[in-house]
Amino acid sequence: MNGAGFHEVRPQSFVGIEDQDRVPLPTRKGGGPDAPAPKNLDPKPIRDRMLDRMKKVDPKQSERYRQRTGE
Amino acid sequence: MKFLCGIETEFGLLIRDPEVKGASMIRQEDLFRRVRDHLFRKKGFGLIDLHQRAYDEPPGNGGFLRNGGRLYVDMGHVEYAAPECGTILDLVAMDRAGDLLLTEALEELGLSGEVSFIKNNIDHQTLATFGSHENYSVPRSFPFNERGLDPLVVFLSTRQIFAGAGRVGASYVNDVILPFPGESPTVSYQISQRADYVVNTFYQWVQMNRSIVNTRDEPLADPLQFRRIHLLLGDSNMSQYALGLKVGTTRLVLGLIERGEAPRMTLADPVATVRGLSHDLSMEWVVELSDGKTIGAVEIQQRFYEAAERAFRGESDDTDWVLDGWRGILTDLSKKDPTLVADRVDWAQKLVLLEDFSREEGVSWQDPWMESLDLAYHDTNPETGLFYPLEEEGTHRRLVSPSAIRQALRDGPVGTRAQGRSLAIRKILDNPQILDYIIQWFGVQVDEGEILYMLDPYRSYRQEVEDYFAHLTRERGPEEASS
Repeated sequence: MNGAGFHEVRPQSFVGIEDQDRVPLPTRKGGGPDAPAPKNLDPKPIRDRMLDRMKKVDPKQSERYRQRTGE
Repeated sequence: MKFLCGIETEFGLLIRDPEVKGASMIRQEDLFRRVRDHLFRKKGFGLIDLHQRAYDEPPGNGGFLRNGGRLYVDMGHVEYAAPECGTILDLVAMDRAGDLLLTEALEELGLSGEVSFIKNNIDHQTLATFGSHENYSVPRSFPFNERGLDPLVVFLSTRQIFAGAGRVGASYVNDVILPFPGESPTVSYQISQRADYVVNTFYQWVQMNRSIVNTRDEPLADPLQFRRIHLLLGDSNMSQYALGLKVGTTRLVLGLIERGEAPRMTLADPVATVRGLSHDLSMEWVVELSDGKTIGAVEIQQRFYEAAERAFRGESDDTDWVLDGWRGILTDLSKKDPTLVADRVDWAQKLVLLEDFSREEGVSWQDPWMESLDLAYHDTNPETGLFYPLEEEGTHRRLVSPSAIRQALRDGPVGTRAQGRSLAIRKILDNPQILDYIIQWFGVQVDEGEILYMLDPYRSYRQEVEDYFAHLTRERGPEEASS
């Protein structure tokens, strides 16, 4: 898949994968570790914003979260 | 060494309205159906099953998606199975595409303020647990017996030190079967979500007897050539990095076992090790071996890393990334400071967040608010979840971009049979004349015609799919084909 990169390193070869199928998909603009960081309009440090977000979490929401056993 | 991996995720659903508490299960199932129907019938994200796949999967229960993955309702959960991926980056993108798919469906249905999909594995109120299942393709010759799998048990029992998603509290649901020595200790926080629910080392079934290695033999491919290693021990990761490292290191260890080069050691009690490590926040992580000696979990992982370094360095960029990441995380874990790995490890990231909140707000670990924050970490709604802002800000490392994740909603991974499946699904969706189809992991059939088998998961079957549908068009004649 194009647009995905390990810290700007694109894997070059893949053992066992058909070479003719490594056709790059169209590149899209924006995002990714190699893209400019999105402009943050909130000047508060991330720690303060995370604390604000945590304060907004309903303290009782875990009491309502009841699931079935899965698998 | 070939790499082929998939992840299945069972999602929980948080309903915010306190009035629906008593009927939340019924409400959840209703919401699952609405989301499924919206995605398949209104948005055209895939093909709903027309046939009975299994006794508990009737027609209409779910279907295959444009990206070659699958979405369905299973055991009271919405389950997303990512398509078979040939690279770690593809796997991470495909996994996160499932989160995006479900979150956007809630938004489009006008439900995102009312409910959230939670990508975790437990609730704090009942005995429930639900899975994140890993699937790895290995050759049929893989030594799938207790002796051959001993190294895998050792690796998986200790892997949680970097792959665990963390949770507030503990579940002693299994203490009837496996009582903890002495009284059940109070656990404020532990590193794994699933550790308390594992009761066996090997077992073939998945419910009520969860094992470290699941022994079910269902390759979903040519059974004479392939085996599918199906693991249900792991946690659902929010961290792309932790997910990539988890599947990457596991595949390398499977490769070491294939080559007969895995470190030889056995644990005195693998199940007790899984739980004991998870409960040990000191990061000492002392493990007892079957010969009575003790060793640290980091040192065990270090031995596996060194063997993999010798065997696989330079084989591919994926392999080298895993080796570098593995070495780095073990170095940092050995310093016994969770803040050093919080940018790559879910349990450490969540612990840092919650400790900060507890300190700032004076909220104790026994306060139900901490459990609610635990859930919020796994909330897939970017407006309310705690994880995504950390990734967005660069506080927590990511491997794939938002645009790659969005692309993964539509396009299957390249170079595996998921590519052919994805292409076939697109062709059926684009052709309203096709009224009947059966899509399986291992093949496609249209209008009760020939079956196109895809028994080799490492092949794309792209040309075969093109030929199959070209033949179908020719059989129908130019008039029907052009109408």
